[in-house]
Amino acid sequence: MPNLPKVPLESWISEGVNWLTTHLSGLFNLMQRSGQSIMDGLTNGLTAIPMPLMIAGLTVIAILTTPKKYGFPLFTLVGLALIANQNLWSDLMSTVTLVIMASVISLVIGIPLGIITAKSPKTAAIVKPILDFMQTMPGFVYLIPAVAFFGIGVVPGVFASIIFALPPMVRMTDLGIRQVPVALVEAADSFGSTTWQKLIKLELPNARNTILAGANQTIMLALSMVVTASMIGAPGLGRGVLSAVQRADVGSGFVNGLGLVILAIIIDRFTQKLNTKPGQKLVTRPWRRWAILATALIMVGGGVVNAATSQKSSGQKVNLGYVSWDSEVASTNVLAESLRQHGYDVTMTPLDNAVLWQSLANGQVDASVCAWLPFTHKALYDRYKNDITLLGPNLHGAKTGFVVPDYMKVNSIADLTNEANKTITGIEPGAGEMITAQKTMDSYANLQGWNLLSASSGAMATALDKAYKTKQDIVVTGWSPHWMFSKYKLKYLQDPKGTMGKGESINTITRKNLKKDNPKFEKVMDKFNWTKEDMESVMLDIQNGATPKQAATKWLKSHQKLADSWYK
Amino acid sequence: MAKVEIKHLTKIFGKRPKAALKMVKQHKSKDEIVEKTGSTVGVYDINMSIDEGEIFVIMGLSGSGKSTLIRLLNRLIEPTQGQLFIDGEEITKFNKKQMLEIRRQKMSMVFQNFGLFPHRTLLENTEYGLEIQGVNKEERRKRAEHALDNAKLLSYKDQYPSQLSGGMQQRVGLARALTNDPDILLMDEAFSALDPLVRGEMQDELLELQANVQKTIIFITHDLNEALHIGDHIAIMKDGELQQIGTGEEILTHPANEYVKSFIGGVDRSKVLTAESIMIPALTTNIDVDGPTVALRKMADEEVSGLVAVNRKREMLGYLTSDEAVKARRNQTPLSQAVMQMPTVDLDTLVVDIMPIIYDAQTPVAVVDGNKHARGVIIRGSVLEALADTEGEETDA
Repeated sequence: MPNLPKVPLESWISEGVNWLTTHLSGLFNLMQRSGQSIMDGLTNGLTAIPMPLMIAGLTVIAILTTPKKYGFPLFTLVGLALIANQNLWSDLMSTVTLVIMASVISLVIGIPLGIITAKSPKTAAIVKPILDFMQTMPGFVYLIPAVAFFGIGVVPGVFASIIFALPPMVRMTDLGIRQVPVALVEAADSFGSTTWQKLIKLELPNARNTILAGANQTIMLALSMVVTASMIGAPGLGRGVLSAVQRADVGSGFVNGLGLVILAIIIDRFTQKLNTKPGQKLVTRPWRRWAILATALIMVGGGVVNAATSQKSSGQKVNLGYVSWDSEVASTNVLAESLRQHGYDVTMTPLDNAVLWQSLANGQVDASVCAWLPFTHKALYDRYKNDITLLGPNLHGAKTGFVVPDYMKVNSIADLTNEANKTITGIEPGAGEMITAQKTMDSYANLQGWNLLSASSGAMATALDKAYKTKQDIVVTGWSPHWMFSKYKLKYLQDPKGTMGKGESINTITRKNLKKDNPKFEKVMDKFNWTKEDMESVMLDIQNGATPKQAATKWLKSHQKLADSWYK
Repeated sequence: MAKVEIKHLTKIFGKRPKAALKMVKQHKSKDEIVEKTGSTVGVYDINMSIDEGEIFVIMGLSGSGKSTLIRLLNRLIEPTQGQLFIDGEEITKFNKKQMLEIRRQKMSMVFQNFGLFPHRTLLENTEYGLEIQGVNKEERRKRAEHALDNAKLLSYKDQYPSQLSGGMQQRVGLARALTNDPDILLMDEAFSALDPLVRGEMQDELLELQANVQKTIIFITHDLNEALHIGDHIAIMKDGELQQIGTGEEILTHPANEYVKSFIGGVDRSKVLTAESIMIPALTTNIDVDGPTVALRKMADEEVSGLVAVNRKREMLGYLTSDEAVKARRNQTPLSQAVMQMPTVDLDTLVVDIMPIIYDAQTPVAVVDGNKHARGVIIRGSVLEALADTEGEETDA
């Protein structure tokens, strides 16, 4: 290869996205705000329908649309009941909202676009490669511009889902229209149909089943994006799956995943019923149609009654952002429970670390208790320090470093030779500690030829557990406070060069104007503090099977005095 | 005035019509033109005139350009060159909107594979043409039901096309085309997809319809027997060019070239030739004036054994044989008592229908016109001669 200069593709794309972000910010904000309120409304509407009523209603509709078969109605009943039983009902409704929004917008854009590409070969030549691009580019890639444009939450999630879910809608509409036999098009033409009449009276009705197949695909793809979308704060079942992956919690991961599967099957079966032969009515008997309508009305009515009678939470709304590390899950839950006890309406938004800092900078998240400083999150702090407020440590004595089981002989990073297959088991790529770990590996000569394996916090914990049980060598990127120090006998490797950072603290950070907007809350955030031991006890409870909320409540009960001090 | 007039109509498919046009003028072959220009000649320099109320058949094998030609008539295919007049208006100059009007009001089309919309019931299919014109629901329902009733399919009106046989579907196709009450019906191989028995029925129904409603029908087929059966005029096409236009008989009796000749080789002529084309001149005797002696004298002069007896008004009365004339002269009875019954046929009776008559008859068969005038006679020999597959025979008309 001759020495050609590298084309600065990366910076072009970054600059392009930056340009769009700054120049179209008004539009994006409008879309974000209106989208958010529409979707909040939809979620609230869905949640307002009492859960037993919705399960019963959907089961009745399933019975009415599948005469003489019991499998599907039974599945609907049992599946939804199981989701409700697992306390995932509100997550399910959030997911349904996301899927409905993404699908409806995909339909609204996709069907007309498909019609245009079917009619105009030139447009098709432009659109088709774009569709290929949209479909094959990994969904994660869209998350970055989605956050830049729309911040965090369900709106960028919908944006990313649409990009992924739109192509089949366009393609299938295009195919459906093209598949209308030439003879029929000629017949319509020969009677003097206008282009529009031909479309409405011949092409769309004939392409109907193909278009519906496309809609089905689109809905399924939107559903498959919910986990990815949850990385940027989209609520729902995906969030449960994601945090389970980060914590390597097999049980919770499967339960949330199962919820998605049940939802997918129900949506799939219902949409497939729309697919009929000519002359075949979706529901054959009129009374069935009336019954379905009545059921739907009862469900809506139930929702309205419920919404009207239930009291709205009157507390101040605050949004706590956090990263799904075990330590931050513990601290954020304790803080949130405490705030709730003091009348706040708290939203907890789990986010990717970089996204969390960005959301604080643009004011979408009010506060977070997750900043590891001065070392681990130095890069992020440096980047956003002008756009956020640092309130100072809430926990002292935190530490990061290479951690090994006590039974290993090595005591210092400088003494590492060929332990653990020359592999250091890391956490999420891009995490602050991974950056310092890489720096460390570069500065210790004896670590040449070692690998830093990036995975997730949960996978790291699982690998540690497995190695510990069989007394094998393992080196992990660890930090404290962490429950693993309570559960296993572990030790930090000495770090003579100090590249892994000396002692750290966990800090509270807020958005820039919080003090002005909500001084009372800001004061609570400023006062929030506890100890390493406090945090580790909560973490261990969670690790031993308590839900974060239960563990937080338990801790608050036994530490009432300390908690009360935050509000003085 | 001609209902439809076509002048120098040409269609070249492809990107370089001009180059192709130049080559076709130099009589280059189709293959050569495709190879050099990438363009295909659909039809080239078609001239024809179609009268109001006739069934005009355009015939040719596949690839002859007949389907292109019929689609040029309602401009489903845009012509490359040439003019098309309907009722004297040059519709090749019409804009899109005017063309929609023409398609809605003046002409309807019937398709080979019926072209019925599968997602619509028969009634909804039938009313389609009116529906897109914005005719109100009640009115169009009424007219569509009327058309279906004429096709004897009213009781099926709420069925879907897939539930019907081919013949029934094409009846709906025809009913749909007629609901608009167009002047002109374009029928593109309309009966070709049907089995022979149904096809024959449909042909007869079409003829009956034609007798009742007097539409101008332009009918495409590849089947010469069909063309001869229903066509008032037939145009034969080959490779996009017109070979001959004429009545069935003109084409059979005077094929314009070798291609037409080879084309008509397989035709059942008895179903095409009429009494008029095979009859020989009738020798008559006016029995109101002539006596037996004059009649016998005439027979001797013409070397025949009988004469057609007519009265003073030249109306055909029967047949007078020489035997009966001799008897009359001997018995001194008037010739009117000597005249025998003689079978008669019309001028346009087909040979196939004459054969059983002539087989049973004692006398020749008289061909009479509407005034009962004897226009000619048919003897067994003339039938055999007409059916013999000799070419260019000179049968007198």
